[in-house]
Amino acid sequence: MPDARERVVGTLPMVLDVRPPGVHHAVVVRSIVPHARLGAIDVSDALGMPGVVAVVTGQDIVASGIDPHFGAMRADQPAIAVDRVRYAGEPVAVVVATDRWRAREAAMFVEVEYDELAFVVDEREADAPGAPQLHDAYPGNDCGDWTLEHGDVDAAFAGAHRVYEGTFRTPPAHHVPMETFVAVADWVSDDRLEIWTSAQSPHAVRTGLATMFGTEDVSVRTLNLGGAYGAKGQIRIEPMVACVARIAGVPVRFELDRDEVFATIARHAGTVHLRTAVDSDGRFLAREIDVVYNAGAYAITSPFAAGQGITRAPGPYLIPNVRARSRALYTNTVPTGPFRGAMTGQLTFAYELQLEEIAADLGIDALELRRRNMIRDGDTYATGEVMEGMHYERILDGLVAELGPRPASDDSSATVRHGRGVAITLKTTLTPSRTEARLVVGSDGTVTVHAAATEMGQGATATIMLNVAHELSMDPTTVRRLAIDTDRDPFDTATGSSRTTFSTGVALHGAALDLRRKLDALAAGDVDAGLEHRDAGLILPDGAWRSYAEVLQAAEVDEVIGDGVFQSSGGWTPEGQLRDGGPSTAHWHQGGAAVDVAVDVETGRVRVVGAAGAAFAGVALDRTRVDQQNVGCVIMGLGHSLYEESVYDDGQLTNPNLSDYMIPSILDLPERIGSVIIEDLEHGEVHGVGEMAIPAVPAAVAAAIRDAVGVSLHDLPFTAEKVLRALEDQAEASSEGGGK
Amino acid sequence: MQYLRARSVEDAVRILGEDPEGTKIIAGGTALVLMVRNGLVRPERLVDITGIDGLREVTLTDGVLHLGGLLPMEDAALDGLVRTHVPALATAFSLVGNIRIRNAGTVAGNVVEADYASDPPSVLVALGASVEIFGKDGARSDSVEDFIQGFYTTTLGPGELVTGVRVPVVAGRRSIYLKYRSRSEEDRPCVGVAAALDLGPDGAVLRCEVAIGAAAARPQRYADVTAALVGRPLDGNAIDEVARAYADRIDPMEDQRGTAWYRRRMVAVHVRRALGELVGPDAARHEAPR
Repeated sequence: MPDARERVVGTLPMVLDVRPPGVHHAVVVRSIVPHARLGAIDVSDALGMPGVVAVVTGQDIVASGIDPHFGAMRADQPAIAVDRVRYAGEPVAVVVATDRWRAREAAMFVEVEYDELAFVVDEREADAPGAPQLHDAYPGNDCGDWTLEHGDVDAAFAGAHRVYEGTFRTPPAHHVPMETFVAVADWVSDDRLEIWTSAQSPHAVRTGLATMFGTEDVSVRTLNLGGAYGAKGQIRIEPMVACVARIAGVPVRFELDRDEVFATIARHAGTVHLRTAVDSDGRFLAREIDVVYNAGAYAITSPFAAGQGITRAPGPYLIPNVRARSRALYTNTVPTGPFRGAMTGQLTFAYELQLEEIAADLGIDALELRRRNMIRDGDTYATGEVMEGMHYERILDGLVAELGPRPASDDSSATVRHGRGVAITLKTTLTPSRTEARLVVGSDGTVTVHAAATEMGQGATATIMLNVAHELSMDPTTVRRLAIDTDRDPFDTATGSSRTTFSTGVALHGAALDLRRKLDALAAGDVDAGLEHRDAGLILPDGAWRSYAEVLQAAEVDEVIGDGVFQSSGGWTPEGQLRDGGPSTAHWHQGGAAVDVAVDVETGRVRVVGAAGAAFAGVALDRTRVDQQNVGCVIMGLGHSLYEESVYDDGQLTNPNLSDYMIPSILDLPERIGSVIIEDLEHGEVHGVGEMAIPAVPAAVAAAIRDAVGVSLHDLPFTAEKVLRALEDQAEASSEGGGK
Repeated sequence: MQYLRARSVEDAVRILGEDPEGTKIIAGGTALVLMVRNGLVRPERLVDITGIDGLREVTLTDGVLHLGGLLPMEDAALDGLVRTHVPALATAFSLVGNIRIRNAGTVAGNVVEADYASDPPSVLVALGASVEIFGKDGARSDSVEDFIQGFYTTTLGPGELVTGVRVPVVAGRRSIYLKYRSRSEEDRPCVGVAAALDLGPDGAVLRCEVAIGAAAARPQRYADVTAALVGRPLDGNAIDEVARAYADRIDPMEDQRGTAWYRRRMVAVHVRRALGELVGPDAARHEAPR
């Protein structure tokens, strides 16, 4: 990554560093209860404290004539709670002061009355009769309900050799970006808002704010992000900061503390029930799928994202008969939203671990069972689409080869057992979606690229530069890219869903084509001249090279602009239909992971001693960056496999800090993490690779533990204690069995 | 908040005496700053004692190893005398937090914080160490075992500060600290086991001490359990006996690193492993010079 050094030493410009003149600082008072009607809020003491200029409540926003509610799919979330709080940690008031410490001091003096209501935390209880209801507009805590029926499921089950059934649970978790969230809002006039924010998708934020404030004059700017992983993928803290700045009448900066990040967005917990019918060769005949995701207190993208439980839950397998229902349910927990590999790891864990169980029961090698069932070109997927460009055979081969020989079980400690697990996964990308890109050549000959994809450590900028350089045959280090500003960087749906490399690449290709034609017209008087461009210049029909600067100056033109667009169509409608006949996805994301574990049978502790991630990349633009994404996916997935879980007690998140919420350290990783890059140069399409391996990691770890010690764990994460309990249960069961 | 600097121990005690309840000593600040930040303590005055000379030395006199209170934990972990005579203590200091914490945090600060999940306290208890305390009435000392009373609670009175730690050194003593982490390798311990063993020339136990850290509010030592080993060889049966007795006796706490059920199991496993190491093939690594 070209900016690696600056990132490490801390000199990379970030929104954290932005402080416009006159900026004030916000500190949020948060609900201490999970569900309540909001009573009186007494701000008088806080308002009288030194340096405090305003204390803003949800009622103040209403009184100012603004509807405080916002949301990407449903405007169900208030910028600050109005008359009800729906999770512990929800903002109920915001103190604005001349500095952060004074605001923090004053926030302790805001008195809030709560009229407590019954609450629900677990998605498995949220649809029970009599369960606490979060939103009057969405009875049954319904935050998205999708169904799919493919083939004749009942007949297939009736004729099955065997039927397997199981429930698999993934707990809520967090993204833990190293940089927390920060936003600075400045109303430069009554109608113009300028906001700096550490957001992944500036245009999504812009659209949300424009809707909220009824003005199109909203400029959203962002700089390099210190990680996001989906947490910053949708509008989050910006409505609150913008409302507060408007009411307080000063520019307002708000930076989240680490515990507040935990209270702002989380990953969906998921409970997946699978029932699978097989024939005597282990071929899948039918599957019933029931998925329940925990949406938390507010929708964000859950009503749409829940649909991924039907398009992704069958997995990379040919299953002729599928019945699926996938729902998201509101609960009194931190709202859940986009997450690296969102909605998919929960499913992959279920179908891959069940496959291991089926293989063991039928006495078939699990890799062989995968090969027997895996989806191949020409097969019809559960969505009814005929699949092309399937590469799972190569992914599986690549992973097995990458791990190499199995570790010998001659560990010095007799209490350690070794095991290996492999898993594969399939996902869709956000469809439909749109990305626009613009290339500008100035009269000084500089080439500037405008695209709204954000750089958050994944290398988006480097890839964009590489694309431009490739399209115009120029040195990538001479391409200019400015800080992103929605005023000048054209629309992009989102930096997420592993779509940037593909969608921005397509848009840039169009922009470069447009630019070349316009320059050709200037230089040769013919848009179709087809001149060769290189080194920020072009070659005239007479063979002479002219710099862009010379071309523009000769034509007395200040700048030449090339525009390009990527637009995908299809996807699924909220009614559960393929839009315009499909496809489900612009293309299918394919990946996998493999791990070797060592399990200490006396402590239950799992150590990962080998690992590899795999991605289908189409054409890998930069192999190093693909490797880094695969490795990053494995590391993050190991956290979900072994440690990470948001723990709620009595409706309160009890571990919102990095001592109690454990993420993997470098010391927990194997010495080497392998990377498998699968390409298809013949078709030449570029695929994003940011989240291809991660959904498969927990499944691979589960399979490896199963291989090592014979226990099948259905509840993530696989803590040492869970493994030990399972081993004891297994020992008890076998001694009982032996006694018969 | 006022930030003051003390030039000597007497100076620090004088400043403390002006407002014993509202004043806190600060050295490395790795614990206190977190507590202040989280609003757990709200001192009106901080007294920085890092300018006091003579509190960073390690000395060995008349069979007592003395660690100055301001000695950074990393220095304690790397110190030749500590490593040679009480290898378990060097191990424990080397495992606290991370290199940045250990370079800032001090030996006295570690003991005074009395954090249940810190590594050194259980080792100090197993080794029979004591703390040197200085107050307006002069010096006093207290065994670490008595000094640490519970979660973040010690016998340190208002107006007192800890100036050092004394560790008895015994020729040929074997000592070990095992840190068991149930989650990440950089996590705090689920259970820490400290053990010290003196063997006679015939291989029989002269003295054996075991202290458990991180499993309860304060380090747990059951003297009667290990007293029963005296005069016997420390064989597999004897080790199992101690491991079982410790697991039975302890009343473990619960946190994100393990339930009481799990901690009890881990006490048994790691007491067994710690004592096994002390009589195992690599025992010489854990032994002080004779």
